[in-house]
Amino acid sequence: MDAKLVNPFIDAFMTVLPQIGFQEPTRAAMNVKDKMTQSLGVTIIVGFTKQIRGNVVYNMSEDTAKYIASTMMMGMPVESFDEMAQSAVSEMSNMLTANAATNLAAMGLEVDISTPSLSVGSEFQVKISNEKYLTVTMDVSGHPVEIDIAVQ
Amino acid sequence: MEKVKVMIVDDSRVSCAMLEGILSKTNFEVCATAKNCAEAVEQFKRSRPTVVTMDMNLPDADGIECSRLIHGIDPHVKIVMISAMKDAKLMLQGRAAGISSFLQKPINTNELIDTMMILCQQKVGTIAVYRESYVVPFAKAMQQSLFQLLGVDCEPRIDLDETGFLEVDGVAVIVGLTGYPLGRLIVYMDKEAMAHFTRTMLNESADADVSDAEACDAVEEAANIIGGRGVSRINDIFKDKEIRVTPPGTICGTEIRIANPKLTSFKITAATPWGNIYMNVGFAGGE
Repeated sequence: MDAKLVNPFIDAFMTVLPQIGFQEPTRAAMNVKDKMTQSLGVTIIVGFTKQIRGNVVYNMSEDTAKYIASTMMMGMPVESFDEMAQSAVSEMSNMLTANAATNLAAMGLEVDISTPSLSVGSEFQVKISNEKYLTVTMDVSGHPVEIDIAVQ
Repeated sequence: MEKVKVMIVDDSRVSCAMLEGILSKTNFEVCATAKNCAEAVEQFKRSRPTVVTMDMNLPDADGIECSRLIHGIDPHVKIVMISAMKDAKLMLQGRAAGISSFLQKPINTNELIDTMMILCQQKVGTIAVYRESYVVPFAKAMQQSLFQLLGVDCEPRIDLDETGFLEVDGVAVIVGLTGYPLGRLIVYMDKEAMAHFTRTMLNESADADVSDAEACDAVEEAANIIGGRGVSRINDIFKDKEIRVTPPGTICGTEIRIANPKLTSFKITAATPWGNIYMNVGFAGGE
Protein backbone atom coordinates (compact mmCIF):
# COMPACT_ATOMS: atom_id res chain seq x y z
CA MET A 1 0.00 0.00 0.00
CA ASP A 2 1.17 3.48 -0.86
CA ALA A 3 2.29 5.32 2.31
CA LYS A 4 1.17 8.68 0.96
CA LEU A 5 -2.44 7.51 1.28
CA VAL A 6 -2.04 7.64 5.05
CA ASN A 7 -1.48 11.39 5.18
CA PRO A 8 -5.05 12.38 4.25
CA PHE A 9 -6.27 10.41 7.28
CA ILE A 10 -3.69 11.92 9.65
CA ASP A 11 -4.39 15.42 8.33
CA ALA A 12 -8.11 14.85 8.86
CA PHE A 13 -7.45 13.83 12.46
CA MET A 14 -5.26 16.89 13.08
CA THR A 15 -7.85 19.21 11.50
CA VAL A 16 -11.11 17.83 12.84
CA LEU A 17 -10.24 17.15 16.47
CA PRO A 18 -9.42 20.76 17.42
CA GLN A 19 -12.72 21.77 15.76
CA ILE A 20 -14.71 19.54 18.11
CA GLY A 21 -13.11 20.64 21.34
CA PHE A 22 -9.85 18.68 21.63
CA GLN A 23 -6.30 19.86 22.19
CA GLU A 24 -4.18 19.45 19.10
CA PRO A 25 -3.36 15.74 18.80
CA THR A 26 0.16 14.48 18.14
CA ARG A 27 1.43 11.58 16.10
CA ALA A 28 2.81 8.99 18.49
CA ALA A 29 3.78 6.02 16.31
CA MET A 30 3.51 4.45 12.89
CA ASN A 31 3.64 0.72 12.26
CA VAL A 32 2.95 -1.95 9.72
CA LYS A 33 0.39 -4.63 10.52
CA ASP A 34 -0.44 -7.85 8.79
CA LYS A 35 -4.12 -8.62 8.08
CA MET A 36 -5.43 -8.47 11.65
CA THR A 37 -5.42 -6.01 14.48
CA GLN A 38 -6.44 -6.66 18.07
CA SER A 39 -9.34 -4.45 19.12
CA LEU A 40 -8.48 -2.18 22.04
CA GLY A 41 -12.11 -2.41 23.18
CA VAL A 42 -13.95 -0.02 20.89
CA THR A 43 -13.44 -0.31 17.15
CA ILE A 44 -15.13 1.70 14.43
CA ILE A 45 -14.87 0.59 10.81
CA VAL A 46 -15.67 2.93 7.94
CA GLY A 47 -15.47 1.60 4.39
CA PHE A 48 -14.78 3.63 1.27
CA THR A 49 -15.01 2.97 -2.43
CA LYS A 50 -14.86 4.58 -5.91
CA GLN A 51 -11.38 5.45 -7.23
CA ILE A 52 -9.72 3.65 -4.35
CA ARG A 53 -11.39 1.03 -2.16
CA GLY A 54 -10.59 0.14 1.39
CA ASN A 55 -11.39 0.48 5.06
CA VAL A 56 -10.26 2.72 7.86
CA VAL A 57 -10.46 1.57 11.46
CA TYR A 58 -10.44 3.81 14.52
CA ASN A 59 -9.35 1.64 17.41
CA MET A 60 -9.31 2.76 21.05
CA SER A 61 -9.91 1.62 24.61
CA GLU A 62 -13.30 2.11 26.21
CA ASP A 63 -11.74 4.72 28.50
CA THR A 64 -10.50 6.70 25.53
CA ALA A 65 -13.90 6.35 23.84
CA LYS A 66 -15.59 7.71 26.96
CA TYR A 67 -13.10 10.58 27.14
CA ILE A 68 -13.79 11.43 23.50
CA ALA A 69 -17.56 11.25 23.94
CA SER A 70 -17.39 13.41 27.06
CA THR A 71 -15.23 16.06 25.34
CA MET A 72 -17.53 16.09 22.30
CA MET A 73 -20.51 16.61 24.61
CA MET A 74 -18.97 19.72 26.18
CA GLY A 75 -17.42 17.90 29.12
CA MET A 76 -20.60 16.11 30.18
CA PRO A 77 -19.55 13.20 32.43
CA VAL A 78 -19.76 9.83 30.64
CA GLU A 79 -19.99 7.06 33.23
CA SER A 80 -20.70 4.16 30.91
CA PHE A 81 -20.14 3.79 27.19
CA ASP A 82 -23.85 3.99 26.46
CA GLU A 83 -25.82 4.64 23.30
CA MET A 84 -25.29 8.39 23.44
CA ALA A 85 -21.52 7.99 23.87
CA GLN A 86 -21.46 5.42 21.05
CA SER A 87 -23.27 7.88 18.80
CA ALA A 88 -20.74 10.58 19.59
CA VAL A 89 -17.74 8.37 18.76
CA SER A 90 -19.45 7.09 15.59
CA GLU A 91 -20.12 10.66 14.57
CA MET A 92 -16.47 11.57 15.12
CA SER A 93 -15.39 8.65 12.92
CA ASN A 94 -17.78 9.81 10.26
CA MET A 95 -16.44 13.38 10.38
CA LEU A 96 -12.83 12.17 10.28
CA THR A 97 -13.41 9.92 7.30
CA ALA A 98 -15.46 12.52 5.42
CA ASN A 99 -12.64 15.01 5.95
CA ALA A 100 -10.08 12.42 4.78
CA ALA A 101 -12.25 11.85 1.69
CA THR A 102 -12.02 15.58 0.92
CA ASN A 103 -8.23 15.40 1.33
CA LEU A 104 -8.11 12.37 -0.99
CA ALA A 105 -10.20 14.23 -3.56
CA ALA A 106 -7.62 17.02 -3.48
CA MET A 107 -5.07 14.37 -4.51
CA GLY A 108 -7.31 13.42 -7.41
CA LEU A 109 -8.80 10.36 -5.69
CA GLU A 110 -12.58 10.47 -5.38
CA VAL A 111 -14.03 8.26 -2.66
CA ASP A 112 -17.49 7.68 -1.20
CA ILE A 113 -17.65 6.60 2.42
CA SER A 114 -20.06 4.22 4.13
CA THR A 115 -21.74 4.62 7.50
CA PRO A 116 -19.51 3.78 10.50
CA SER A 117 -19.93 0.44 12.27
CA LEU A 118 -18.97 0.51 15.92
CA SER A 119 -18.03 -2.72 17.71
CA VAL A 120 -17.51 -3.14 21.43
CA GLY A 121 -16.02 -6.15 23.20
CA SER A 122 -13.22 -7.21 25.50
CA GLU A 123 -11.61 -9.76 23.20
CA PHE A 124 -11.85 -9.55 19.46
CA GLN A 125 -9.81 -9.06 16.35
CA VAL A 126 -10.42 -6.97 13.26
CA LYS A 127 -9.33 -7.91 9.78
CA ILE A 128 -9.48 -5.25 7.06
CA SER A 129 -7.00 -6.56 4.56
CA ASN A 130 -5.44 -9.71 3.18
CA GLU A 131 -2.10 -8.00 3.18
CA LYS A 132 0.05 -5.70 5.24
CA TYR A 133 -1.29 -2.24 6.00
CA LEU A 134 -0.24 0.88 7.87
CA THR A 135 -1.33 1.94 11.28
CA VAL A 136 -0.76 5.27 12.98
CA THR A 137 -1.22 5.96 16.66
CA MET A 138 -2.39 9.45 17.51
CA ASP A 139 -2.15 10.86 21.01
CA VAL A 140 -5.16 12.89 22.13
CA SER A 141 -4.24 14.46 25.49
CA GLY A 142 -2.66 11.22 26.67
CA HIS A 143 -5.36 9.01 25.13
CA PRO A 144 -4.08 6.87 22.26
CA VAL A 145 -6.24 6.38 19.16
CA GLU A 146 -5.00 3.88 16.61
CA ILE A 147 -5.91 4.51 12.96
CA ASP A 148 -5.56 1.52 10.63
CA ILE A 149 -5.74 2.23 6.93
CA ALA A 150 -6.04 -0.51 4.35
CA VAL A 151 -6.41 0.23 0.65
CA GLN A 152 -6.93 -2.56 -1.86
CA MET B 1 -51.14 0.69 5.80
CA GLU B 2 -53.15 3.47 4.20
CA LYS B 3 -53.49 3.18 0.43
CA VAL B 4 -51.95 5.91 -1.70
CA LYS B 5 -54.27 7.36 -4.37
CA VAL B 6 -53.10 7.47 -7.97
CA MET B 7 -54.60 9.04 -11.09
CA ILE B 8 -53.63 7.68 -14.52
CA VAL B 9 -53.62 10.10 -17.45
CA ASP B 10 -53.31 8.24 -20.75
CA ASP B 11 -55.38 8.26 -23.93
CA SER B 12 -54.70 4.59 -24.57
CA ARG B 13 -57.10 2.22 -22.86
CA VAL B 14 -54.51 -0.54 -23.08
CA SER B 15 -51.90 1.53 -21.22
CA CYS B 16 -54.44 2.46 -18.53
CA ALA B 17 -55.42 -1.16 -18.04
CA MET B 18 -51.77 -2.24 -17.79
CA LEU B 19 -50.94 0.38 -15.19
CA GLU B 20 -54.07 -0.45 -13.23
CA GLY B 21 -53.10 -4.09 -13.33
CA ILE B 22 -49.61 -3.40 -11.97
CA LEU B 23 -50.79 -1.05 -9.25
CA SER B 24 -53.64 -3.30 -8.09
CA LYS B 25 -51.06 -5.59 -6.49
CA THR B 26 -49.46 -2.81 -4.47
CA ASN B 27 -50.20 -0.25 -1.84
CA PHE B 28 -51.26 2.18 -4.56
CA GLU B 29 -54.91 2.53 -5.51
CA VAL B 30 -56.10 3.94 -8.80
CA CYS B 31 -58.76 6.49 -7.90
CA ALA B 32 -59.23 8.04 -11.34
CA THR B 33 -58.27 7.70 -14.98
CA ALA B 34 -58.35 10.44 -17.61
CA LYS B 35 -57.93 10.18 -21.38
CA ASN B 36 -57.19 13.85 -22.09
CA CYS B 37 -55.93 17.01 -20.43
CA ALA B 38 -59.33 18.59 -19.73
CA GLU B 39 -60.60 15.41 -18.12
CA ALA B 40 -57.36 15.11 -16.11
CA VAL B 41 -57.78 18.57 -14.59
CA GLU B 42 -61.45 17.85 -13.78
CA GLN B 43 -60.71 14.46 -12.24
CA PHE B 44 -57.74 15.81 -10.30
CA LYS B 45 -59.86 18.49 -8.63
CA ARG B 46 -62.46 15.90 -7.69
CA SER B 47 -60.33 12.97 -6.47
CA ARG B 48 -57.12 14.68 -5.25
CA PRO B 49 -54.65 11.85 -5.82
CA THR B 50 -51.16 11.87 -4.26
CA VAL B 51 -49.52 10.62 -7.46
CA VAL B 52 -50.34 11.18 -11.13
CA THR B 53 -48.89 9.10 -13.95
CA MET B 54 -48.78 11.22 -17.10
CA ASP B 55 -48.57 10.18 -20.72
CA MET B 56 -46.69 12.57 -23.02
CA ASN B 57 -49.16 12.58 -25.90
CA LEU B 58 -52.71 13.60 -25.15
CA PRO B 59 -55.32 14.57 -27.76
CA ASP B 60 -55.90 18.12 -26.48
CA ALA B 61 -52.49 19.09 -25.02
CA ASP B 62 -49.13 17.54 -24.28
CA GLY B 63 -48.26 15.87 -20.97
CA ILE B 64 -46.04 18.75 -19.92
CA GLU B 65 -48.82 21.32 -20.32
CA CYS B 66 -51.24 19.04 -18.48
CA SER B 67 -48.68 18.57 -15.67
CA ARG B 68 -48.28 22.33 -15.39
CA LEU B 69 -52.04 22.76 -14.89
CA ILE B 70 -52.25 19.99 -12.30
CA HIS B 71 -49.16 21.20 -10.46
CA GLY B 72 -50.77 24.65 -10.37
CA ILE B 73 -53.76 23.18 -8.51
CA ASP B 74 -51.61 21.28 -5.98
CA PRO B 75 -47.86 21.98 -5.82
CA HIS B 76 -47.36 18.91 -3.58
CA VAL B 77 -48.61 16.42 -6.15
CA LYS B 78 -46.08 13.89 -7.44
CA ILE B 79 -46.22 13.52 -11.20
CA VAL B 80 -44.50 10.65 -12.96
CA MET B 81 -44.12 11.15 -16.71
CA ILE B 82 -44.33 7.96 -18.72
CA SER B 83 -43.33 8.38 -22.33
CA ALA B 84 -41.66 6.59 -25.19
CA MET B 85 -39.05 9.31 -25.38
CA LYS B 86 -36.86 10.50 -22.53
CA ASP B 87 -34.30 13.10 -23.44
CA ALA B 88 -32.62 15.99 -21.66
CA LYS B 89 -34.83 18.67 -23.22
CA LEU B 90 -38.02 16.88 -22.28
CA MET B 91 -36.77 16.34 -18.74
CA LEU B 92 -35.79 20.00 -18.38
CA GLN B 93 -39.19 21.22 -19.56
CA GLY B 94 -40.89 18.57 -17.47
CA ARG B 95 -39.09 19.52 -14.26
CA ALA B 96 -40.12 23.15 -14.80
CA ALA B 97 -43.74 21.98 -15.13
CA GLY B 98 -43.54 20.13 -11.81
CA ILE B 99 -42.87 16.59 -12.98
CA SER B 100 -40.93 14.65 -10.32
CA SER B 101 -39.82 11.61 -12.25
CA PHE B 102 -39.52 10.29 -15.79
CA LEU B 103 -39.98 6.70 -16.93
CA GLN B 104 -39.67 5.26 -20.38
CA LYS B 105 -42.08 2.90 -22.11
CA PRO B 106 -42.32 -0.04 -21.98
CA ILE B 107 -42.75 0.21 -18.24
CA ASN B 108 -40.76 -2.08 -15.99
CA THR B 109 -43.04 -3.03 -13.12
CA ASN B 110 -40.42 -2.81 -10.40
CA GLU B 111 -39.13 0.47 -11.69
CA LEU B 112 -42.59 1.99 -11.63
CA ILE B 113 -43.39 0.80 -8.12
CA ASP B 114 -40.02 1.78 -6.71
CA THR B 115 -40.18 5.21 -8.27
CA MET B 116 -43.64 5.80 -6.88
CA MET B 117 -42.66 4.51 -3.45
CA ILE B 118 -39.67 6.80 -3.29
CA LEU B 119 -41.76 9.77 -4.37
CA CYS B 120 -44.29 9.02 -1.64
CA GLN B 121 -41.80 8.16 1.07
CA GLN B 122 -43.46 10.34 3.64
CA LYS B 123 -46.81 8.79 2.87
CA VAL B 124 -45.77 5.16 2.54
CA GLY B 125 -43.09 5.42 5.20
CA THR B 126 -39.34 5.18 4.87
CA ILE B 127 -39.30 1.77 6.51
CA ALA B 128 -41.61 0.26 3.90
CA VAL B 129 -39.52 1.75 1.09
CA TYR B 130 -36.27 0.42 2.54
CA ARG B 131 -37.82 -2.96 3.11
CA GLU B 132 -39.43 -3.47 -0.27
CA SER B 133 -36.87 -1.74 -2.48
CA TYR B 134 -33.62 -2.64 -0.77
CA VAL B 135 -33.93 -5.35 1.86
CA VAL B 136 -36.06 -7.76 -0.19
CA PRO B 137 -33.44 -7.87 -3.00
CA PHE B 138 -30.76 -8.70 -0.40
CA ALA B 139 -32.94 -11.45 1.06
CA LYS B 140 -33.46 -12.90 -2.43
CA ALA B 141 -29.73 -12.70 -3.14
CA MET B 142 -29.11 -14.52 0.14
CA GLN B 143 -31.60 -17.27 -0.68
CA GLN B 144 -30.12 -17.77 -4.15
CA SER B 145 -26.52 -17.74 -2.90
CA LEU B 146 -27.15 -20.18 -0.05
CA PHE B 147 -28.91 -22.52 -2.42
CA GLN B 148 -25.93 -22.53 -4.74
CA LEU B 149 -23.27 -22.65 -2.03
CA LEU B 150 -24.87 -25.02 0.49
CA GLY B 151 -27.61 -26.69 -1.51
CA VAL B 152 -30.29 -25.63 0.98
CA ASP B 153 -33.38 -23.75 -0.01
CA CYS B 154 -34.47 -21.44 2.77
CA GLU B 155 -36.98 -18.66 2.63
CA PRO B 156 -35.24 -15.85 4.56
CA ARG B 157 -37.30 -13.97 7.12
CA ILE B 158 -37.08 -10.18 7.30
CA ASP B 159 -37.61 -8.37 10.59
CA LEU B 160 -37.19 -4.73 11.44
CA ASP B 161 -34.37 -4.62 13.97
CA GLU B 162 -35.34 -2.31 16.79
CA THR B 163 -32.66 -3.29 19.28
CA GLY B 164 -30.05 -0.86 17.93
CA PHE B 165 -27.23 -3.39 18.21
CA LEU B 166 -26.35 -6.96 17.34
CA GLU B 167 -24.47 -9.51 19.39
CA VAL B 168 -21.96 -11.76 17.69
CA ASP B 169 -19.98 -14.78 18.86
CA GLY B 170 -17.57 -15.86 16.19
CA VAL B 171 -17.20 -14.00 12.92
CA ALA B 172 -19.07 -10.96 11.59
CA VAL B 173 -18.28 -9.43 8.22
CA ILE B 174 -19.17 -5.79 7.65
CA VAL B 175 -19.57 -4.47 4.11
CA GLY B 176 -20.25 -0.76 3.67
CA LEU B 177 -22.81 0.53 1.15
CA THR B 178 -22.11 3.86 -0.52
CA GLY B 179 -24.25 5.91 -2.88
CA TYR B 180 -27.95 6.06 -2.12
CA PRO B 181 -29.03 4.84 0.32
CA LEU B 182 -25.95 4.93 2.49
CA GLY B 183 -25.54 2.05 4.88
CA ARG B 184 -23.86 -1.22 5.65
CA LEU B 185 -24.59 -4.91 5.80
CA ILE B 186 -23.27 -7.43 8.28
CA VAL B 187 -23.20 -11.18 7.69
CA TYR B 188 -22.82 -13.53 10.65
CA MET B 189 -23.81 -17.08 11.52
CA ASP B 190 -24.63 -19.42 14.38
CA LYS B 191 -21.52 -21.40 15.40
CA GLU B 192 -22.48 -24.72 13.83
CA ALA B 193 -23.80 -23.07 10.67
CA MET B 194 -20.50 -21.19 10.35
CA ALA B 195 -18.45 -24.39 10.78
CA HIS B 196 -20.56 -26.26 8.24
CA PHE B 197 -20.48 -23.35 5.83
CA THR B 198 -16.70 -23.05 6.11
CA ARG B 199 -16.17 -26.80 5.58
CA THR B 200 -18.43 -26.73 2.54
CA MET B 201 -16.62 -23.74 1.04
CA LEU B 202 -13.24 -25.41 1.66
CA ASN B 203 -14.50 -28.77 0.44
CA GLU B 204 -13.56 -30.51 3.69
CA SER B 205 -15.10 -33.48 5.48
CA ALA B 206 -17.82 -33.07 8.09
CA ASP B 207 -15.47 -33.72 11.03
CA ALA B 208 -12.64 -31.41 9.94
CA ASP B 209 -11.60 -28.70 12.38
CA VAL B 210 -12.25 -25.15 11.32
CA SER B 211 -9.75 -22.47 12.32
CA ASP B 212 -10.74 -18.84 12.99
CA ALA B 213 -8.84 -17.71 9.92
CA GLU B 214 -10.69 -20.20 7.71
CA ALA B 215 -14.05 -19.15 9.16
CA CYS B 216 -13.16 -15.48 8.56
CA ASP B 217 -12.34 -16.18 4.93
CA ALA B 218 -15.49 -18.24 4.37
CA VAL B 219 -17.90 -15.73 5.93
CA GLU B 220 -16.12 -12.93 4.08
CA GLU B 221 -16.71 -14.75 0.84
CA ALA B 222 -20.39 -15.21 1.73
CA ALA B 223 -20.72 -11.49 2.46
CA ASN B 224 -19.02 -10.59 -0.81
CA ILE B 225 -21.23 -12.89 -2.83
CA ILE B 226 -24.54 -12.03 -1.16
CA GLY B 227 -23.75 -8.32 -0.89
CA GLY B 228 -22.59 -8.12 -4.50
CA ARG B 229 -25.63 -9.93 -5.81
CA GLY B 230 -28.03 -7.91 -3.69
CA VAL B 231 -26.53 -4.65 -4.90
CA SER B 232 -26.69 -5.83 -8.52
CA ARG B 233 -30.39 -6.56 -8.10
CA ILE B 234 -30.97 -3.09 -6.67
CA ASN B 235 -28.87 -1.31 -9.29
CA ASP B 236 -30.80 -3.15 -11.99
CA ILE B 237 -33.92 -1.33 -10.85
CA PHE B 238 -32.51 2.07 -9.92
CA LYS B 239 -30.31 2.71 -12.87
CA ASP B 240 -29.45 6.27 -11.93
CA LYS B 241 -28.62 5.75 -8.25
CA GLU B 242 -25.86 3.25 -8.12
CA ILE B 243 -25.01 1.59 -4.82
CA ARG B 244 -21.45 0.35 -4.39
CA VAL B 245 -19.96 -1.98 -1.81
CA THR B 246 -16.78 -1.31 0.14
CA PRO B 247 -14.26 -4.10 0.82
CA PRO B 248 -15.24 -6.25 3.81
CA GLY B 249 -14.10 -5.58 7.36
CA THR B 250 -14.14 -8.71 9.48
CA ILE B 251 -14.57 -9.00 13.21
CA CYS B 252 -13.71 -12.19 15.04
CA GLY B 253 -14.01 -12.96 18.75
CA THR B 254 -16.49 -13.63 21.51
CA GLU B 255 -19.29 -11.50 22.90
CA ILE B 256 -18.91 -8.65 20.48
CA ARG B 257 -21.61 -6.04 20.29
CA ILE B 258 -21.97 -4.09 17.06
CA ALA B 259 -23.94 -0.90 17.57
CA ASN B 260 -26.15 0.66 14.91
CA PRO B 261 -26.63 4.18 16.11
CA LYS B 262 -29.03 6.11 13.89
CA LEU B 263 -29.53 3.35 11.33
CA THR B 264 -32.81 1.88 10.18
CA SER B 265 -31.85 -1.75 10.11
CA PHE B 266 -33.37 -5.08 9.21
CA LYS B 267 -32.39 -8.56 10.27
CA ILE B 268 -32.63 -11.20 7.57
CA THR B 269 -32.61 -14.73 8.97
CA ALA B 270 -32.05 -17.83 6.84
CA ALA B 271 -32.67 -21.09 8.73
CA THR B 272 -30.44 -23.98 7.65
CA PRO B 273 -30.26 -27.51 9.13
CA TRP B 274 -27.02 -26.40 10.89
CA GLY B 275 -28.38 -23.24 12.45
CA ASN B 276 -29.17 -19.73 11.30
CA ILE B 277 -27.29 -17.52 8.91
CA TYR B 278 -27.98 -13.82 9.40
CA MET B 279 -27.60 -10.65 7.45
CA ASN B 280 -28.28 -7.31 9.06
CA VAL B 281 -28.85 -4.51 6.55
CA GLY B 282 -28.93 -0.95 7.86
CA PHE B 283 -29.48 2.38 6.15
CA ALA B 284 -28.76 5.90 7.30
CA GLY B 285 -32.25 7.38 7.47
CA GLY B 286 -33.66 10.83 6.93
CA GLU B 287 -31.91 11.71 3.71
